[in-house]
Amino acid sequence: MSLFKLFIIFVKIGAILLGGGYVILPIMTSEFVDKRKLVSHDDVVDYFALAQSLPGIIAANMSMFIGYKLRGKWGAIIAMLGVTFVPFWCIVLLASVLSTLVNNSYVQGALWGVGVSVIALIMLTVREMWQKSKKNAFFYTIFILTLITLLVFKLSPIQTILLFTLIGVGYKRFREGRA
Amino acid sequence: MIFIHLFWEFFKIGVFSFGGGYATIPFLYHISQVYNWYSLDELTQMVAVASITPGPVGINVATYAGLKSAGILGSALATISEMLPSLFLVIIVSKLLKKFSDNFYVRAIIETLKPISCGLLTAVAIGLLKPEIKDIKAIILLAALLLLSWKSKKDPLFYILIAAFIGVINFIYIIQKH
Repeated sequence: MSLFKLFIIFVKIGAILLGGGYVILPIMTSEFVDKRKLVSHDDVVDYFALAQSLPGIIAANMSMFIGYKLRGKWGAIIAMLGVTFVPFWCIVLLASVLSTLVNNSYVQGALWGVGVSVIALIMLTVREMWQKSKKNAFFYTIFILTLITLLVFKLSPIQTILLFTLIGVGYKRFREGRA
Repeated sequence: MIFIHLFWEFFKIGVFSFGGGYATIPFLYHISQVYNWYSLDELTQMVAVASITPGPVGINVATYAGLKSAGILGSALATISEMLPSLFLVIIVSKLLKKFSDNFYVRAIIETLKPISCGLLTAVAIGLLKPEIKDIKAIILLAALLLLSWKSKKDPLFYILIAAFIGVINFIYIIQKH
């Protein structure tokens, strides 16, 4: 894949990135796994957790991981510039117009719909992730503990990731040591 | 001089903001207090605009804050400075993962990240769903969108556009009723 082509794909992704950064996951899966088969579903799942473990904006981090995977460090730079291209010009050129549109009821209506579609997209992604993972006792345990930690104990994603990575790796090390 | 400050402030946001999006707002608030680049009212307006334009809110707000501070150059500088720290980290992490892909610990981390990743996204879905539970129209639209895709997967844009369209219709309907 040429860098130019990669740039165009990320410009497109940036343009439809509505309703917050989380839609990046369904969009990435659709674009790079389903349509182009350039990245495996497994990789996208890993990048999602990795993107959240690093500081910065999740959607940008994920784009850079995929960019690097496909074309090395220039791929990462191109992904960064591509995904922010449309959002950047939208703000620079339209900011003054948009600030009057924020309270427009049509815009509010459309945003309400977009919000619902984002939930649907994320639920579908959860379903797909779940279907495509190798599920064993280890998977179920970590999954359920992660969910409880986030929802009940309200730890931040980064704290949760660090905690369970340590526990998971420690457990695997312990089992390895005994075998 | 303003460009050096702008670079430094947004680079710091890139280093210290975890969890994206709205996590950057406390930093932007701090900037509005220290420098006279924009007022608190303007910040509120920026966040509102940033959430209706495409792109991650955390980056859009940086672009907008840069624009208010120092025009178009400022906005390019703020946007790139904010992503620069993660660009370095992504490249380093990707290199390490590739180099040590056979290492026991790297494999264990990757295997552990999968269920964690599933858990994180499920929590996001639950968090987004919770405030909509009482909105019966939202639940019907959600159920319809899910039903539509249960058998065959469609392009994400397909759902976004359909839902936006239905949202506008719904508002026209509400306005006419009053």
